[in-house]
Amino acid sequence: MQKIKRCLIIDDDHDDQEIFLMCLNRVDSDVNCLTADDGVEAVAMLKSDSNYTPDFIFIDVNMPKMNGIECLKILKNIERLKYTKIFMYSTTSEASFVKESRNLGADDFIIKPSRTAELKDKLARIFGIVSVVSK
Amino acid sequence: MEKMGTGIVDGETGLYRKMIEEIQDYAIILLDKDGFIRNWNKGAQKIKLYTEKDILGKHFSIFYLPEDIQSNLPQKLLNEATESGRAAHEGWRKRKDDSKFWGSVTITALHDDENNVIGFCKVTRDLTDKKISDDRLRMSEERYHQMISEVQDYAIILLSPEGVIENWNAGAEAIKGYKSSEVIGKKFELFYTKEDRENGLPGRLLNEAKDNGKATQEGWRVRKDGSRFWGTIVITALHGKDGKIIGFSKVTRDLTHQKAAEQKLAAYTEELEIQNSELQQFAYVASHDLQEPLRKIQTFAELIQEHYDDKEFVKRYFQKLDSSARRMAELVKSLLNYSRLSRDKEEKDSSITEVNLGDVLNEVKQDFELLIEDKKAVINCGPLPVVTGNQMQLGQLFSNLISNSLKFSNVAPVINIDSRIVKKEQIENAPKTLSAHRYHLITFEDNGIGFEEQYSKIIFSLFQRLQRKQDYAGTGIGLALCKKIAENHDGLIFATSGLDKGATFHVYLPVMEGAG
Repeated sequence: MQKIKRCLIIDDDHDDQEIFLMCLNRVDSDVNCLTADDGVEAVAMLKSDSNYTPDFIFIDVNMPKMNGIECLKILKNIERLKYTKIFMYSTTSEASFVKESRNLGADDFIIKPSRTAELKDKLARIFGIVSVVSK
Repeated sequence: MEKMGTGIVDGETGLYRKMIEEIQDYAIILLDKDGFIRNWNKGAQKIKLYTEKDILGKHFSIFYLPEDIQSNLPQKLLNEATESGRAAHEGWRKRKDDSKFWGSVTITALHDDENNVIGFCKVTRDLTDKKISDDRLRMSEERYHQMISEVQDYAIILLSPEGVIENWNAGAEAIKGYKSSEVIGKKFELFYTKEDRENGLPGRLLNEAKDNGKATQEGWRVRKDGSRFWGTIVITALHGKDGKIIGFSKVTRDLTHQKAAEQKLAAYTEELEIQNSELQQFAYVASHDLQEPLRKIQTFAELIQEHYDDKEFVKRYFQKLDSSARRMAELVKSLLNYSRLSRDKEEKDSSITEVNLGDVLNEVKQDFELLIEDKKAVINCGPLPVVTGNQMQLGQLFSNLISNSLKFSNVAPVINIDSRIVKKEQIENAPKTLSAHRYHLITFEDNGIGFEEQYSKIIFSLFQRLQRKQDYAGTGIGLALCKKIAENHDGLIFATSGLDKGATFHVYLPVMEGAG
């Protein structure tokens, strides 16, 4: 039996959350996806519930209070997330951010596309590859 | 006369007489006791051009210039020779053709057995060539000394091996302000700052010149009136023939103006660097913050197309599309405002006036009239000062701060504005760039949502937001703008707050001195 995949999207922009969920739902309706409005909320969520271990985390870079890079640093230090795939998810790919997030252990840096088809394609590949591995 | 003639001539051998006659390099003339010429040799003829026939029996003053005759020089020389046995003199003499020659003359008195003067032997040598070359050398030395003493742009000083000033030129006086009589004999440490003297710099420079032949240095030096100048100095060791150091030459140039120009250039470069980094920030913003609403507009348009039949969906996404477009317009407007501040800075002088901050506040209150009414906000304010500055910018500063207080609030906003004067020393962590002595401290205190202390700095950076876009609208430019305006006015802005404790913005603007 295939295990239900768990996903967390951290983004302060509700529109972007909505677009992400819409695309993810088209790609794989078996994914259970939660949202957090910023890094502070996400960290609190993951630290307060030790049973919650998402398979995938998507982090927006430009967020108030705690930016995506700071958030990534903290998540990478949570032991039970060591098998979680973490992706940065941003409007622009500022070279220094891309480099820093790679160094900090992010699996990839995804640019928020203007075409939903592009995002769906990206998500399909991410979820497809991992489902093969987890089998 | 006769006695003399027989005494000498008749008593000598022909050979001896011949010897005198034939000498060519010296004019050897026999004078009687009154100075009349009695004998004449070849040398005399060669130097003075008279033949023996022309000259015998003439008075020897015939060789002297009119001015020497007037001052009775020939007779004086005879008198001297009579008294002391001998007289020596150098001077211009006249030849038969009136041309001049420089003669070195020795007149020796001749005596009879009773020691009476019976005549004189006058030996003259033509030293014209030597005189000319000596004169040239002397003139060249004089010119050289004159050149050094009159050079204005360089202080050229001669120092003894111990560093005592021995010579002083016009340039030294112009640059350092001392007259030569005030410094000759003093040690050259006089021109160094107290710190340099205490650190032993003057002695170190002399030692360096001793060891390496010369020492160069640039630094602040002190004039007589205590003012400082930026000097570039070369000290060169002077050596005697035996190789020992006989002193130092010290050449100083006043480069204060060049130094000032250099500093100005450095300040300009620094400003350029700041502008450059602002430009980079700008470019980042253009690529991110403007791209974000643009991307969303494209996505929403695509989704609307896909769900064309779903009326509810289309309506909702048109609204989203509209709000993204509006946000983009707002960003463009704020960016223009922000960029205009840099331009205004360049046009500073023309736009600076006296600005009554009380009037500024009233205008801002009028602009927000509807919002104030809507939010049931209260704005309390004591008397506000008049400052010098840019009316438009100060209006923007007040407008942004009040708009923030009205916006970031969950209850009816209460804004208290107050003003007092503080001394620069009283400002905590004041940046070095503040140049006024006293500042108006204007505080804007509100009862809004505030922010955690840790964010008190980053809220003034361009495009830093603490709040989620859906909770509180804004572009993330407002406070960056306020910071820039305060800095444009030689002022400062910072904020203090605690979460849910309201925020207080502290704005410092220079007091117009003289106007209180």
